[in-house]
Amino acid sequence: MIKDSNVPMAMTFPPLLVVLLLALSTGPLCDAIWLNIPKTGTKCVSEEIHSNVVVLADYVVVSVEDGQTATIAVKVTSPYGNNLHHRENVTYGRFAFTTEEAGNYLACFWSDNRTRGSGEVVVNIDWKTGIAAKDWESVARKEKLQGVELELRKLEGAVEAIHENLLYLKSREAEMRSTSETTNARVAWFSIMSLGICIVVSGLQVWYLKRFFQKKKLI
Amino acid sequence: MESKWGKIWGLIGLLLLNFVNNVSSLSLTITKVECVYEIVRSEGDIVSGNFVVVDHHIFWSSDHPGLDFSITSPGGDILHNLKGTSGDKFSFKAPRSGLYQFCFHNPLSTPETIAFYIHIGHIPNEHNLAKNEHLDPINVKIAELREALEAVTTEQKYLKSRDAVHRSTNESTKTRVIGYTVGEYMLLTIASVLQVIYIRRLFSKSVGYNRI
Repeated sequence: MIKDSNVPMAMTFPPLLVVLLLALSTGPLCDAIWLNIPKTGTKCVSEEIHSNVVVLADYVVVSVEDGQTATIAVKVTSPYGNNLHHRENVTYGRFAFTTEEAGNYLACFWSDNRTRGSGEVVVNIDWKTGIAAKDWESVARKEKLQGVELELRKLEGAVEAIHENLLYLKSREAEMRSTSETTNARVAWFSIMSLGICIVVSGLQVWYLKRFFQKKKLI
Repeated sequence: MESKWGKIWGLIGLLLLNFVNNVSSLSLTITKVECVYEIVRSEGDIVSGNFVVVDHHIFWSSDHPGLDFSITSPGGDILHNLKGTSGDKFSFKAPRSGLYQFCFHNPLSTPETIAFYIHIGHIPNEHNLAKNEHLDPINVKIAELREALEAVTTEQKYLKSRDAVHRSTNESTKTRVIGYTVGEYMLLTIASVLQVIYIRRLFSKSVGYNRI
């Protein structure tokens, strides 16, 4: 039912790019995704990030047409519109920043018009935030950890992150519960007030018309 | 006293927000069809993930039927197929290595935003142990632990996306309650004032005619 005419499996993956991909992947937990960039228009990926979070991303163009790799342009913007990273006519790149404000961070890709070819460009994006972006090599060097100790330290970091996320979810749930309760109270109040207004207004109407007819000596 | 505790909890919540990391999923806007691809390195890896339709501005509940979601293996078979969902979790064991395709299809023309997260977990098993002498059995256990923690993290990302959707529904309910009630009051008052004016005019004219 879903037709996707641009199947990248038909494209060739030169061994150099595969090696580059594997080199860019840090460890077995590489959750890099591939996206189709259309010939015209931009493809944007966004994420809702809090402040003071490290964001690290790598992007590599994977598709090859006519023996040359297609080029893309990248633009990363903060929620307030500041430009964090902007490159044109590149095939690979990396950007890293620490978020200052909480909000929606947007990374947009579009293909440069200079590339010939009819197909779409496929980009490999490896986007890591927070604990996944932590530089374990420097921690290992500083504290002289290796092997099993380093792995256990990574696990400890992951557990801390899970704990903090759970606390965050709990606080959000409390906030939502208070919003629901105020809405519930408001619905009740406003309905009673609406009934009251109805009665008051009709009472005023009747009183005013009675006065009017008495003045006109009809009653 | 209650407001003081409320402020303290709010402050703690804000402080905790600064340390929260890695609870996030990538968002994508889908106009017609969007596909996300992932490479699975070795056969037998567990692919798990979830997605939630975030931008669901429903006016009446029958507005948007939801998105269609499908997972295609490198061989071309469709592993998972869902129609009309507003979010789901999935988890499967990859039958072979290669490029897996996760496609979202929007049946209507209004663009929808989704938040998705895909994780591929690899645990080295005894087969790899035999091949690679440097692989300690403890590494297998550590890999299993890591995958269990990743499962918890994946679930938390799903919960967070769902929480965002519920929050937007809640806030929309709040604004609707206030907006519609105030509008109702004003309409009621205007209608009754118009009624009175109309009756006045009726009786003024007819009285005038009668007197004539």
